Amino acid sequence: MTTAGMRRGGVVLTVLGLAGLIALYWMCFFWVSTEVNQGVIQRIFYVHVPAAWTSFLAIGFAALASGMYLWLRDDRLDRAALCAIEGGLVFATLVLTTGPLWGKIAWGTYWTWEPRLTLTLLLWFIFVGYIMVRNSTEDPDKGKRFAAVVAIIGALDIPFIHLSVVWFRSLHPEPVVAKPDGPTLPGDMLATLLFGVLVFSLLFFGLFLFRYAVEALRAEADLRARSAA
Amino acid sequence: MSTYLTQVWAILRKDLVLEIRSRERVGAMCAFAVLTGVLFNFSIDTTTVRPNEVATGLIWMTLIFGGLLGVGRTFHLESQDGALQGILMSPAPKDAIFIGKLIANFVLLFVVSLLVLGVFGLFFGIDLGRNLSWVVFVLGIGSLGFVAVGTLFAAVAEGTHLRETLLPVLVFPLMVPMVIYGVGAMMPLLSGRPFTEVEGNVRMLGAFALAAVAAGAVLFRYVVED
Repeated sequence: MTTAGMRRGGVVLTVLGLAGLIALYWMCFFWVSTEVNQGVIQRIFYVHVPAAWTSFLAIGFAALASGMYLWLRDDRLDRAALCAIEGGLVFATLVLTTGPLWGKIAWGTYWTWEPRLTLTLLLWFIFVGYIMVRNSTEDPDKGKRFAAVVAIIGALDIPFIHLSVVWFRSLHPEPVVAKPDGPTLPGDMLATLLFGVLVFSLLFFGLFLFRYAVEALRAEADLRARSAA
Repeated sequence: MSTYLTQVWAILRKDLVLEIRSRERVGAMCAFAVLTGVLFNFSIDTTTVRPNEVATGLIWMTLIFGGLLGVGRTFHLESQDGALQGILMSPAPKDAIFIGKLIANFVLLFVVSLLVLGVFGLFFGIDLGRNLSWVVFVLGIGSLGFVAVGTLFAAVAEGTHLRETLLPVLVFPLMVPMVIYGVGAMMPLLSGRPFTEVEGNVRMLGAFALAAVAAGAVLFRYVVED
């Protein structure tokens, strides 16, 4: 895809995502029924869970692109990994903001060492580590390789972190969708949640394409500056 | 295969001889470990907490901080005068270099971890007589996992201008499983519980260490290539 095509794709997906976000908020506030036990605060769930899903999608995507980059050495793959990481950082920040807000009311405290919250915090730091490594080398190619290694190791460590923090303590509400005997969430809540996941994924890929187009333009500008000099 | 082992041994032997002759890293790490024990002792109000209950956690934290101090400098000496380039240009495959470096670091950290165990046992009044061999075994697996991640990222950090400053940001988030399973296995062992009770934790610790060694051996070549 050309850079202009990327940008157009980015615009389309982002506009769709933003329109979806408005619809999602409408569903959250006016359409979906209120949860019996938790009351109105449970509605933050429709933002929190899709954001979490998106940030894990981002690290998986970035690790895959990084592995491919180390193999094929195509700068486009490295750019894709960087853009996914930056998007992931945004969505992980969303999770870490909405989680404690909900936790303050539901658990009575902003922070607990609840497994999934802990995992997201560590994921956030892996994103930050990736960006720091990338920006702290003089040779850009070295930075790309180092960052790719960070993304791959980070993604590989996630199952271990997940298992260990679950073993350490579990306070989080149990999963309500991905369970062996089918979802237990009532229909309208499930619909809102799945719609949220769709909207956040659209937004993620929209922002991803935008960011990718910017990186591609930057690489092109660098190339032109170098050939002019 | 035997040439591979010879290559690993050459790197390992070089690092150990350097360390035995200079005693730079091991000296700093041991001093760090003992002094941390002293500081921890004053940072805990021993009238409100039972020191031997928190000691396990402190041992692992000291191991990680002290380990970072030593492991972070794995490639420091060789970054001078292009020595690392010399090693990388040798016919030894990159993973053999990594494994050699890793074993050298492991020996170093394991020695320090035994000292930490002894010193903390003394300072915090832990009865080390019970399950000592299992405790040492758990410390060994933990050290292996730590040096695997640490050696790889030491090579990364050496190539950046932030150097060792970058290391905690990269290594600490990944160390969470090690701390959880390490402490989870060692705490019951030190209070005299049988090994069968913590076997699951030790297995997870072992899986973590093996995965870290394998990932490091595969990815190291991408870090040092030029």
